Amino acid sequence: MSEINQAAQSDVESQTDEPKRIPQPDKITNKDLMKSWFGWWWANEVNHTFDRMLAPAFCFGLIPALKKLYKDHDELAKAFQRHLLFFNTQATWGGGTLTGVTISLEEARAKAMANGEQPISEDMINNTKVGLMGPLAGIGDSIDSGTVQYIFIAIFLPFAQKGNFLGALLPFLCFAIATFTYGYYFTKLGYSLGRAAAKEIMTGGRMAGIIDGLGVLGLYMMGILAGQYINIKSYFKFTINDKTFDIQQILNTILPGILPLTAVLLLYLYFQKQGLKITRGLLYLTGALILLSIFYII
Amino acid sequence: MHVTLSVWQALLIAIWVALVESRILGFATLTMRFSPLMTGMMVGIIMGDLKSAMIVTAAIQLVYMGFVAPGGALPAEPAIATAIAVPVALLGHMSPQGAIAIAVPVGLLGSYLYQFRFFLNTFALKPMDKFAAEGNARGLRLSIMGIPTIISFLLFIPLIFIALYFGAPVISGVVSNITHGTVIHVLNSVGGGLAALGIAVIMQVIGKQKLLPFFFLAYFMSVAFAKLQINMTIYAIFGTIFAILYVMFTSNRASDKA
Repeated sequence: MSEINQAAQSDVESQTDEPKRIPQPDKITNKDLMKSWFGWWWANEVNHTFDRMLAPAFCFGLIPALKKLYKDHDELAKAFQRHLLFFNTQATWGGGTLTGVTISLEEARAKAMANGEQPISEDMINNTKVGLMGPLAGIGDSIDSGTVQYIFIAIFLPFAQKGNFLGALLPFLCFAIATFTYGYYFTKLGYSLGRAAAKEIMTGGRMAGIIDGLGVLGLYMMGILAGQYINIKSYFKFTINDKTFDIQQILNTILPGILPLTAVLLLYLYFQKQGLKITRGLLYLTGALILLSIFYII
Repeated sequence: MHVTLSVWQALLIAIWVALVESRILGFATLTMRFSPLMTGMMVGIIMGDLKSAMIVTAAIQLVYMGFVAPGGALPAEPAIATAIAVPVALLGHMSPQGAIAIAVPVGLLGSYLYQFRFFLNTFALKPMDKFAAEGNARGLRLSIMGIPTIISFLLFIPLIFIALYFGAPVISGVVSNITHGTVIHVLNSVGGGLAALGIAVIMQVIGKQKLLPFFFLAYFMSVAFAKLQINMTIYAIFGTIFAILYVMFTSNRASDKA
């Protein structure tokens, strides 16, 4: 485990990205984009966990592209690691687009490293992903699972009500084919948009400003996600002289949302002091949550 | 009421549920999970009464119409509900409405199972991180896809098999007994709190401490405006505007100095 932690930590420390020469990357073709889109589509929810969400699937999709881009073993390992951190979005609108965007940014980074130029930083790639994943997921969830899926179900439901199996098979096939097709389109779109953006970034000399801007957007979206996804509240109540004290109510009068915020900040400070020891952070957090909830403190 | 299936029928249905719930068939399994239709069809084929199975399934579909899972968490698992309710309805010659009464509580238990899967998947992370650090693409692929699939099969196949073979009504009775118990409370609390980890990791990765006020701004905006149910896209637009303003003001200051 220490090996991973060191690697993860050096990942965070080497933010300055001193130019390092690596072999020239291979060209990314439409076939590679299809491979990556299919990889993400296939792995999508298989390795869903609470702490990384869909990051493993995103990394799984990128593997073939990253292997073509980074012929340097260390850089390949670093690329794998940075795409395993935390990622959650919707499959087609979010995941398709971001697969394309990320490949284009990784390609620009690998090319610059091969030519000995200042490459796009890892931060830039991470922040672009993190900044865009939430908004695209919001759009995608309401369109794909909220609308497209039910349009097909509603059209074919009368078949099912009469006992015809086509009422089940057709909505599934239509949904699968439609989402796969436009998800691939989004992947290609993301790739070409990302390439244009990467060129602009590299030549415009405004990299520092853009990284800060993406940092603002990334941290802002994390704040929103923290407020919406983390659900920790106190169930602790006690009575003194017939007066009941409800801890959560008292906390709400002091500062609403203080418990989830405390959890995030404690973990943040832990990583700040101890390095990015994700596995240990997970164990401590789980242990604390189990202990506190067994006694109904939370 | 005679509520049993043959061992093979129960096993095949259990394998189907594991295929859907493990998500190993790709993103399109979303609609197999959210909608009872495909599971109902498979149960109909396995039990040799496709027509009645589809009629019962269509009734269950109406209950789950409009189900979406913001952020991946569904309030019930229609596929699991259907896998239990349709066989019971067919064997017991129940009305579609009776099947719904069984489906709803089983679906609730199913959603805990699905979340428990997220928790068990954590075991796949350690080898995954190891292979990534080694730059071993083959090992990485295997640990991302293989381990979670095995976990899902070990979780879903025995449970669904037992539920079907020994009778679904027993299960729905058990469900209503434990939904208020400590076990479920602990599962909910752990599930509710673990998202904090991923968020803290990303904050660390973004790594710009001077920008942390934007995290607090967003956090308290989302807490304060929770009742307004503001859409993610709107928040993203706010975030983008803040980012643009930040870059604008800081670059102005730099050019003033120059």
